[in-house]
Amino acid sequence: MSLLHLDKATIKFGGLIAVNEVSFEIKTGQLFGLIGPNGAGKTTCFNLITGVYKPTSGSIKFEGREISGTPPNKIAHLGIARTFQNIRLFGALSVLENVVVGGFLRHRTGLGSAIAYLPPAIKETEELKQDAMRLLEVVDLAHVANVRSRDLSYGMQRRLEIARAMATQPKLLLLDEPAAGMNPQEKMDLTGTVRRIRDEHDKTVLLIEHDMRFVMELCENIVVLDHGEEIAQGPPSEIRNDPKVIEAYLGEAV
Amino acid sequence: MDLGLNVWAAFELSTLPQQVINGLLLGAIYALIALGYTMVYGVLRLINFAHGEVFMLGAYTALFASWFLGYGKGSTLETSGPANLMILLIASMCVCGIVGVAIERFAYRPMRSQPRIAALITAIGVSLLIQYGGALVLPIAPPPSINEKVNPYRGVVTMNLVGGDPQLLEGYEKAKIEFETAEKEWQAARDAKAPDEAIRTLRDKKNDADRTMGDLQRRMDNSGVKIRIPQGQLIMFGTTIVLMIMLTYLVMFTAVGRAMRAVSHDFDSASLMGINVGKIVTITFLIGSMLASAGAMMNATFLGTPLTTFFGVMPGVKAFVAAVLGGIGNIPGAVLGGFLMGIAETAVIWAGYGQYKDAIAFIILIVVLLFRPGGLLGSAKVEKV
Amino acid sequence: MKFFAVRAGSIALAVAACFALQSFAVGKGDLFFRLVFLAGLYVTLAVSLNLINGITGQFSIGHAAFYMVGAYGAGYMANNYAGSWGLKGPLLMLVLLLIGAVVAAVAGLVVGLPSLRLRGDYLAVVTLGFGEIIRIFVQNSPPLGGAYGLTVDAQFKFKYVWMVWLLAILCIAVCRNLLKSAHGLPFLAVREDEIASSAMGVNVTRVKVTAFVIGSAFAGAAGAMLANFDGFISPTSFPMELSFTILTMVVLGGTGSITGSALAGGVLFYIPEYLRDLKPVSGSSLVAAVIAVIAAVYVVKRIADHYHGDKGKRAALYLGTIIAGVALQMILAAVFKNVPSLANANFEASKLRMVIFSSTLIILMLLRPQGVFAHHEFSWSWVQRLFGKKVPTTAVSV
Repeated sequence: MSLLHLDKATIKFGGLIAVNEVSFEIKTGQLFGLIGPNGAGKTTCFNLITGVYKPTSGSIKFEGREISGTPPNKIAHLGIARTFQNIRLFGALSVLENVVVGGFLRHRTGLGSAIAYLPPAIKETEELKQDAMRLLEVVDLAHVANVRSRDLSYGMQRRLEIARAMATQPKLLLLDEPAAGMNPQEKMDLTGTVRRIRDEHDKTVLLIEHDMRFVMELCENIVVLDHGEEIAQGPPSEIRNDPKVIEAYLGEAV
Repeated sequence: MDLGLNVWAAFELSTLPQQVINGLLLGAIYALIALGYTMVYGVLRLINFAHGEVFMLGAYTALFASWFLGYGKGSTLETSGPANLMILLIASMCVCGIVGVAIERFAYRPMRSQPRIAALITAIGVSLLIQYGGALVLPIAPPPSINEKVNPYRGVVTMNLVGGDPQLLEGYEKAKIEFETAEKEWQAARDAKAPDEAIRTLRDKKNDADRTMGDLQRRMDNSGVKIRIPQGQLIMFGTTIVLMIMLTYLVMFTAVGRAMRAVSHDFDSASLMGINVGKIVTITFLIGSMLASAGAMMNATFLGTPLTTFFGVMPGVKAFVAAVLGGIGNIPGAVLGGFLMGIAETAVIWAGYGQYKDAIAFIILIVVLLFRPGGLLGSAKVEKV
Repeated sequence: MKFFAVRAGSIALAVAACFALQSFAVGKGDLFFRLVFLAGLYVTLAVSLNLINGITGQFSIGHAAFYMVGAYGAGYMANNYAGSWGLKGPLLMLVLLLIGAVVAAVAGLVVGLPSLRLRGDYLAVVTLGFGEIIRIFVQNSPPLGGAYGLTVDAQFKFKYVWMVWLLAILCIAVCRNLLKSAHGLPFLAVREDEIASSAMGVNVTRVKVTAFVIGSAFAGAAGAMLANFDGFISPTSFPMELSFTILTMVVLGGTGSITGSALAGGVLFYIPEYLRDLKPVSGSSLVAAVIAVIAAVYVVKRIADHYHGDKGKRAALYLGTIIAGVALQMILAAVFKNVPSLANANFEASKLRMVIFSSTLIILMLLRPQGVFAHHEFSWSWVQRLFGKKVPTTAVSV
């Protein structure tokens, strides 16, 4: 069944067409890759899916439901969570609190209960913290739960972003360059983490990445964008030999 | 509040051109102060709350300079000439330039690496310190004002755009003769010690004639369209425009201006590109303060406004609003905002709601910001995700 | 149920403490009584602004407007309608307090909703402008007394110090509870990063408006207390400087720290009041003080920036500088006594108070811009650590 379906999604900023009639379909349980050179419109695509931008034309369907134009917080509630290319953690909050913010959209108690600090709110806070702790164990950050997230190392911050997104219990997880700035060892670990997220936590994953080896090894299906246009789509083996992709990455064939 | 239909009834359309001119004259001063806010905001992203106080000090400097030149209280000197005005202007600009630079050096520079809110609180502190500290040493009670003899341009320039109704003019001339005759008769009767009753009748007749004449005069004045501008204000306006042109030249066509624009575009990159950011900030404060003090000097001299140490608060706040209205950090925006603010304020007074003139600035601001969150000419920066 | 026993106990304790404060203050003269009352008001104002500025990260510099709205709302209702309600004493005051809170909350909603599109400085200007608009309209509104002010009927004058302190405690409790439960995290998240918050499902608009509404409701309640305590309010009771003063309390206490705001509110308002009754100061000692303060600040700043040694030594250096500063002031004052123009000039302390207030502000910002408490909160483990005990830092601090 198709979980996310982009149909000719287009967005223009003034005269610039950042994403032009991009269409692809992600099935539940897939590990999907979105690649392309710098400025190809990958992150803009993410912004369209998560509601940061509204598409100029075309449709974006999530579980068969049109979501273009829905505000980001509602989209998070529907079950799409994301990480950011330029890390956007809540710097002054602790690692644990960052993850609790992600889990907070499932809260049931009202603000009044929290303000009066009544048992339901206290209990819920405890539960949310415990859920968050479990997630921190998945990404191997439990030992720094009380550290300010600003003070974490770069690789740890990237992992915390994944944990925070996971905390919203999404059906679809969007990872924006999760391996950027990591060394080979960290990348290896990350591959394992992403696989585990898909297999053990039943998530569908859409990720943007520059590192071809990383993508080819991890993803089952890949869309290639260049200058806002979709130039290829298919499994890694096909993408690897696609002349258009090679051209986009290496320039004009000589 | 009865802001109903009578708003429109109050509009006397024949005075519209005069009102527009008044608005422009007022707006020019706001624009001049707003430039300082906007320039400082452009380079430092700091609302320089003390800018209004620099304006106030400019006015006081002009006052002291006029005293130094001998135009103190009860001065017996003749009306002065343009040379004295230049001295006042230069004195204000120099003193305020130094004050502005000193404020930046000692209060704002140490805060540069701190969160912006800390710098803002410092700015509020400096502003209060100058207001209340100034009140300790500067003359405030009774509020002194610059001797009007300093200003040689006390005449009024009148321009008739549309002449008055000729019939009314004729009637007025007739009424004037009637009044003069009646007045003479009454005086003659009084001198001749006529009976009280006769004098009273004649007096009433004279008063009636006076009233008719006054009424006709008013109608005649209103039938034409004319503009009256005090010469001083005209000079003020001219000087303001000249200063703005000079500023535009400086910012757009000189090396310093280019550096300023670079710093305002990206503070850190500019410093990496070898621009002496500290120097540029100093120059920005210098220029901004000098512009404000020029406005203050002209305001104090040509309008003779009484000075207190709170003289700069309201103009400062309004100019700041003007800067935000135009899009803070944007130089043409500040000028546009200033003029708009001046015109809006005059329009409110014109409509008979003078008591709301200080509120209108903010009402316009809020309405504009709702539709253009970055101000009229500014662009609200969209954060890159 | 242990929970409810503890809760009931602490509420009873708070109420008892407030009544004890009232009976203590009542015997110390009118001025002292009013000071205790004002302290409670300013604590409420500072802590409620901290919710908007410190916790939610918005930039409101017009808090006095909500205070004013609450004061006028309660005063007007008391004069025109309260007589027919048949309520008396504390109950009536409570109703008036709620009226003040609701009116101000509505005002908070009105400001909060359109301001959501604005950020940082632009929001600041709008809140400042809103305050000015309110003030000017009140000034020109005959039913509210216009520029002459509104006199609240004598029968509605309530000198309830206990109630204002209960209000302050309630305000502190609300903020603290919010931060202790998971519900407070979206507020902090909005402060840290709006885009990331909304991607995590936080309704940024709602969080901001909630903060504005709660914050202004408390300010409005404080206003209602003021109107019925003094029995007279006028537009000049709520100048722009008042907003700045409240903002200063929040920043000096440490933006985001409830403890800091509460203490700064309770202490800072008193500085101008204290200075009001000082003896006139001679020009020579004033000039000496100015020089000494500048010198001391300069040295302290240099130590703070360049000395990275032992904590104890650093504290000793600070102390030494302060002592040296005081000594310098005394010596200079003695020297300047011989300058007739200085020695003969006298400055009334009442005129100095705003000068000292603003200098304190600048100096504190220069030396400790993150505020006295920075982002720390009062907690028992913190007190124990202060006295050298080793306590594990389990609490997730904000």
